[in-house]
Amino acid sequence: MTSPSIALTPARRPSSIRRWLVAAAPYILLAPGLLWLFYFFIWPAVQMFLMSISTGNLDDGFRVTGTTKAYEAALTKFGPQWLNSLVYAGLATLFDLAIGFPVAYAIAFRGGRYKNLLLFLVIAPFFTSFLIRTISWQILLGDEGPVLGFLKHTVPVLSSDTSVLYSPIAVVAGLTYNFLPFMILPLYVALERIDGRLIEAAHDLYASSWAAFRRVTFPLALPGVFAGTILTFIPAMGDYVNAELLGSPKTRMIGNVIQGRFLQLNDYPTASALSFVLMAAILLAVLVYARALGTEDLTG
Amino acid sequence: MSDHGDTAKPIITRRRFLQGTAVAGFGAFLAACTGSSTSSSAASNASTGASVPVPTPPPASASAAASEAAVSATPQPSPTGPLKFANWPAYIDLTGSAAEAEEYKAGSSPTIEQFKKKYAIDVDYEEKIEDNKTFYATIQPQLQGGAATGWDLIVVTDWLAAKIISKGWAEKLDQNNVPNAKTNVRDALRNQTWDPGNDYHYPWQSGMTGIGYNKNVLKSANIPEPKSLKDLWAIQGNRLSFLTESRDTFGLGLLKLGKSADPAQTTSDDLQAVHDDIKPVVDKGLIFADNSYLKNFASKKTWAAMVWSGDLASSGTEGDTFVVPEEGAMIWTDNMLIPKGATNKYTAELMINFVYDPKVAAQIENYVYYVCPVNGAEAILKDLNKKEPLDQYHLDLLFPPEDVIAKTHNFQFLPEDVEQTLDQLYLDLTGG
Repeated sequence: MTSPSIALTPARRPSSIRRWLVAAAPYILLAPGLLWLFYFFIWPAVQMFLMSISTGNLDDGFRVTGTTKAYEAALTKFGPQWLNSLVYAGLATLFDLAIGFPVAYAIAFRGGRYKNLLLFLVIAPFFTSFLIRTISWQILLGDEGPVLGFLKHTVPVLSSDTSVLYSPIAVVAGLTYNFLPFMILPLYVALERIDGRLIEAAHDLYASSWAAFRRVTFPLALPGVFAGTILTFIPAMGDYVNAELLGSPKTRMIGNVIQGRFLQLNDYPTASALSFVLMAAILLAVLVYARALGTEDLTG
Repeated sequence: MSDHGDTAKPIITRRRFLQGTAVAGFGAFLAACTGSSTSSSAASNASTGASVPVPTPPPASASAAASEAAVSATPQPSPTGPLKFANWPAYIDLTGSAAEAEEYKAGSSPTIEQFKKKYAIDVDYEEKIEDNKTFYATIQPQLQGGAATGWDLIVVTDWLAAKIISKGWAEKLDQNNVPNAKTNVRDALRNQTWDPGNDYHYPWQSGMTGIGYNKNVLKSANIPEPKSLKDLWAIQGNRLSFLTESRDTFGLGLLKLGKSADPAQTTSDDLQAVHDDIKPVVDKGLIFADNSYLKNFASKKTWAAMVWSGDLASSGTEGDTFVVPEEGAMIWTDNMLIPKGATNKYTAELMINFVYDPKVAAQIENYVYYVCPVNGAEAILKDLNKKEPLDQYHLDLLFPPEDVIAKTHNFQFLPEDVEQTLDQLYLDLTGG
């Protein structure tokens, strides 16, 4: 861009600096973000990868040896936990979609002037700490808690020794609850953008309410469904708090395994390998999902 | 933390209150953060044989000598602060009642307040240790790298205390600064092989690990009160909890199988046998808990559990009971030590000395109900409770009689390979 003849002319100098600045501006503006990404994502990811091919222990230190033992362990030893993660996160995502869609729909189309208030109410519980909310579910799902207590004594539909806490039901319930806003908000954004006249037009063309929903509203909301399911499924898949607090040893997810390897066994290589496999698995799942749903505008 | 307070308070006395509710809530909270457990283990009485690979203190290093020299060079050092003191949840006189009465700031306690006043120094007392391993992971890198940990005083269980000391990562105590501790520490806790002469540590509390249950809950469920570990295993799995502190769970598991819980004799095969013995219980819904078991007792979710001796006594729930199983119990000690590079070492020594004043010790025991390491606290404690004397049950927890001590085992110092097997087997049981 800067031709030497221009640079040689003193009178033009300021303008050459300016041009240089203009050309560099995007990079200068990006620099903080890139530095951030480098130090807090790329660098740790590289470290984690190196750790995953290391051997050693916490006391004597770890050395990179290029071993793949950690990956073998990560892929072969934790079948039940991988399955639990997949099933629980999948179920939680489905339930969130089933609960979240009507809520987002109601706020977007029927919220009127209360839209902002309703959205605030969706988020309000999440001003409380994640842990406190999850621990509260221990009380809610307790054997004599408000839910089971009611179903056992007031409306005796359950036998008195029914127990939900520390079962898969409790884990899925906790996941569903904790990630619900991540489903509702993107759905709301997508639904809110829909031009009401399109639905009117559908009705004008003799579409029933259901047909209008199925052929107009829902397809237009797909980007929201995609974003919502991704935002719900990914963190749910890696979550360990719900399985730890609401589950039993039989309901552990892969996040619990990683946590246990890191903090209890101090087996950093296996924990790192597990984290990498989890990352890869999620990436793969998202790509497949994006393909299937055909939301090119989201994935580029 | 004090949300259950209002209902509990009128019924129970000040000292019985709080811990239960506060610990339950807080313990669960901590468990959430770490997935793991609580206080435990260790200690030592005479049962640690010479053949056990107990770590030993390092030879006096140049830096240790230097720091000693520094202390002696200033004959009257002045306390510096704030003292950064890391301890386990609900392990001092406080916690909720002090906070609730608004007499003291939350996170403080009468003992801490008295200390602050006496030395005109600030204390930052934090309930940051909920699990030995997890806490160790937060200070190990700094210690290894020769940097300060940010703590001036920490409380860790025997095996970890020994490990830190053996690596030379604890400051050597100036015995002139801790005359109370030197004089008053119980004889059974002196001369540990891992720190003979208490050069680096003094005990904070000892405790036992045994069986806990609520009499009333068992009665309504029509289950006989468990007297032995065999009885405990026989209760239906989804109504039981064992401990996240694996040395406790496996130690009791060894006793249940009639094996000796002596680290010198325990083999990986023994631990495997314990694992195989617990696995069916896990399949029936057993959970592993730290002192969050208190909450599960309260909600009647858990009928019986492996518990630490002081917790149920201070839980404040009618009918909560701790028993030493027929097969025996675990014993352990949590120890105060000053991590290498602590900025307020002298103040930390003052604190050690302060809590070894029998009067202060009695004040702490009056809340925590663990085994008191301080001679002379017993009489003062009885005096404190003149109006409403402690019953034999509580006294036995605080000052266990000889026949109980004889049944206790110290399962703390494991050879490296056995420890690794233990960690693996434990993690397998917990699904991690």
